[in-house]
Amino acid sequence: MTNLRVFSDSFRAYALYFLSPVALLIIWTWVCSAGIFPEQILVSPAGVFETSRELWASGELPAHLQDSLLRLVWGFAIGALFGLLFGVLMGLFKSVDNFFAPSFNAIRQIPTIAFIPMLIMIFGVEETFKIVIVAKAAFFPVTLATYDAVKGVPRTYFEVSRVYQLPTWYLVTRIVLPSTTPPILTGFRLALGRSWMVLVAAELIAADSGIGQMMEMGRQMFRIDIVLVGVLVTGLIGFLLDRGLRSVEAHLGKWKYR
Amino acid sequence: MVRDIMTKRIKQFLSRRPQLNGFWLPVAVALIWETMSRQGDAYAYTFIPLTQIAHSFLSLIQSGELLINLLATLQTTVIGLLVGGIAGLLVGGLMAVSPTANKLIGPLYHTIRQVPLLGLIPLIALWFGNGLPSKILIVSLAAFYPIVLNTFEGMRGVEKKYIEVSSVLKLSRLQLFVKVLLPAAMPSILTGVMHALAFAWISTVGTELLFSTGPGLGGLMQIAQEASRMDIVIIAVGSIGLTGLLMNTALSRLSQYLLRWRSLR
Repeated sequence: MTNLRVFSDSFRAYALYFLSPVALLIIWTWVCSAGIFPEQILVSPAGVFETSRELWASGELPAHLQDSLLRLVWGFAIGALFGLLFGVLMGLFKSVDNFFAPSFNAIRQIPTIAFIPMLIMIFGVEETFKIVIVAKAAFFPVTLATYDAVKGVPRTYFEVSRVYQLPTWYLVTRIVLPSTTPPILTGFRLALGRSWMVLVAAELIAADSGIGQMMEMGRQMFRIDIVLVGVLVTGLIGFLLDRGLRSVEAHLGKWKYR
Repeated sequence: MVRDIMTKRIKQFLSRRPQLNGFWLPVAVALIWETMSRQGDAYAYTFIPLTQIAHSFLSLIQSGELLINLLATLQTTVIGLLVGGIAGLLVGGLMAVSPTANKLIGPLYHTIRQVPLLGLIPLIALWFGNGLPSKILIVSLAAFYPIVLNTFEGMRGVEKKYIEVSSVLKLSRLQLFVKVLLPAAMPSILTGVMHALAFAWISTVGTELLFSTGPGLGGLMQIAQEASRMDIVIIAVGSIGLTGLLMNTALSRLSQYLLRWRSLR
């Protein structure tokens, strides 16, 4: 009896959780079938599903997705690697910090998107430009998180390393990196989200493939269903990237609270 | 031996004025830039001579072009911030006060938030055209998300004893909201406003680049890029960065002033 009660309570909690998205879907379907808006303006959920299946079966969606994700991976890898390197150097060595901090902070104030026209003029509209802009978007949050994390390493660790006369390389790989992993991973997560958004924006502006370009084509051809599929896919990818890094964070940060 | 003395001298020189060290990098970049611009026409296309940038800057100011575009961009940001901020405050407050509203709105909010904001632009352009209303809609959404989150978390974090006191004093729900929850959540809300300002500024520039209709720094940049006027692009990028920095500083001063009652340990 109590079990049933508990079950129904948790069921109610879950039902409430799904209530609003489901209600939205129902209203959406109803508005479409009632014909309040013409089909060029609002496509029913079933229509969106149908289009996404067609796009997937024709290989168009997978191709766009592959192009976008490849750009994201390359750009993010380059940006994060440099950010990690730069952040560690700035955090460890006062002189590096003094040299680069003012320029770094000045450029950090400028939104990445504002660099798109400049980078198009320098690199053209090909792949290089997109990888550079994604790398730029990833570089700054990763550098900042790494810098703060390295600054937050307790002084005693450095003193121990001096007592043992560890070489700098060991200091970095054995002490600095492990003790800064959790905050750096948070920086990675922020950077990945921003990189994804900047990439989609860059593809909307100038690209011949990718999710952003698919949406832009859909807009120009007044295919609202394609645009909606694009919106859903970008949202899903952003969500999965965030969740993925969160689980990595939880996994790698486990030792912290033991 | 000589090298040792040299490195020692350099180290001495650098350590005497550590605050000046930050200036060497920009100076070096400017020098390289200027030499590159003198390497021929192919280089001068990208590396505009510094004098020409200064010249274009003056002419953009004199013609009033820079000011008009800057004001248009600022206007979009401010309207978006106000609309999104007020809506966010109300929704976040409602979610904090009523658990039912939280369970109803929360999932929807977190689902829609996953879509990168600028990815919504094609959809919004199809529905609302590519004029000012669409721009304001995007910017208000950008401001809306962080303010909802911070209002909600700020009000959730209000100490229980304040709420107990207010129930002893028989405050109505509106009084509880205005007199207790809102002031207590103010630090968190102002943090949200800082985030919202940054996002609103970024998305204003983004929408102007993508819609490229009407005045605005993003539009100015887009036109300059098509005309391959690197000097104007650089000036626009600089103005965007500087204005963002100024707004950020002003807002953080304002929030310090508003929060001066808070006793900081």
